[in-house]
Amino acid sequence: METHKRSRSLVKRTIVSLVIAALSLVLFILPAEYNIDPTGIGKSLGLTVFNDKTTLPVITQQPQTAKQDSVFLVVPAGKGIEYKLTMKKYSKANYEWITNTKELYVDLHGEPKGDITGYFESYAIATTNQMKGSFTAPFEGSHGWYWKNNSDNDIRIQLVFDGDYIIEGLK
Amino acid sequence: MLIRLKFTHLLCTVLFLLITLSVESFAHGVDDSTRNFLESNTGVQIIPFIYIGAKHMLTGYDHLLFLVGVLFFLHRSKDIFLYVSMFTLGHSLTLMTGVLANIQVNAYLIDAIIGLSVAYKGFDNLGGFKHFLGKQPNPKIAVLIFGLFHGFGLATKIQEFELPLQGLAANLLSFNLGVELGQLLALMFILLAINYWRKFSSFERFAKTTNTALMSAGFMLIGMQLTGYFVN
Repeated sequence: METHKRSRSLVKRTIVSLVIAALSLVLFILPAEYNIDPTGIGKSLGLTVFNDKTTLPVITQQPQTAKQDSVFLVVPAGKGIEYKLTMKKYSKANYEWITNTKELYVDLHGEPKGDITGYFESYAIATTNQMKGSFTAPFEGSHGWYWKNNSDNDIRIQLVFDGDYIIEGLK
Repeated sequence: MLIRLKFTHLLCTVLFLLITLSVESFAHGVDDSTRNFLESNTGVQIIPFIYIGAKHMLTGYDHLLFLVGVLFFLHRSKDIFLYVSMFTLGHSLTLMTGVLANIQVNAYLIDAIIGLSVAYKGFDNLGGFKHFLGKQPNPKIAVLIFGLFHGFGLATKIQEFELPLQGLAANLLSFNLGVELGQLLALMFILLAINYWRKFSSFERFAKTTNTALMSAGFMLIGMQLTGYFVN
């Protein structure tokens, strides 16, 4: 009787340890180590990031003629961000940006200096994952990008720009 | 009371440090800066190889878990010395011959067997083998045999880098020496923790739970490494 009880206890402990191991493997370890995620829980916990192959494609830098600025930005899921430059009237900026995955809604626009009415002028509105171009500030003020991320995942951007401006940065 | 409290704090800090150390190298054995060094290294480099060996052992959670299992019920210094020597003999043998004779074994399969060694020791500590087989398989021989596999595991980590033959034996000996140093350091912490815990009644109460957890960790390692084997 005593040995029977002991066998039961040993078998029980072995099964418990197997179940815990299997659960940890399926829920956490396999998603993190190998991107194998049958339940989807690993992904919702953010554990599959280690296997995220969609690293930022780097914009090939042109031969540097003038000073060039480069920033990496994150647009959180469902949120919008603004990145602005202070520019004088008729000064010029060249830019190129690219996301690591999906497309974003973008509004490239300017707000006149000292304006309190909320007026702004858009130079380009699009939903895209990359854009290249240049613009000339039609008035003195704050010029730059508004990106809106309508997806469920954070999206990263690399923005490269040069020209005549003072960086205000993230708004 | 105050002294006991302080000691517990110290212990917690030490354990925490050990855990963070292990997490840092959670990938597959060797971190980037070490990789860089190994791939560009030529000639004899004694101290760096000692360091890599020690670091590998100290951050190798699979080796550490096995040691915890082996030491769990040992409290006489003679026993501890004997078992650790068996383990050292085993892994040194296969580490040296494995690399020098260029024996190629799959790292994932070896690591799965190392996982098995952890599960085995957990089950052994629960008295499972003694109960079901009527007699505990000689634990010293078991440690020696599993030591051989741990050594092959260490060898695969070194072999990944196809080290130049020039100075290989000396570098390997240094690595091995480092492994032993790391093991000694790890043993100090493990023994400190276990012996301290042994003084309390909770040790007896949680001995079974701890070894069940150990067994579970072994199963996790097996599953993880076997998946790695089939995926790659």
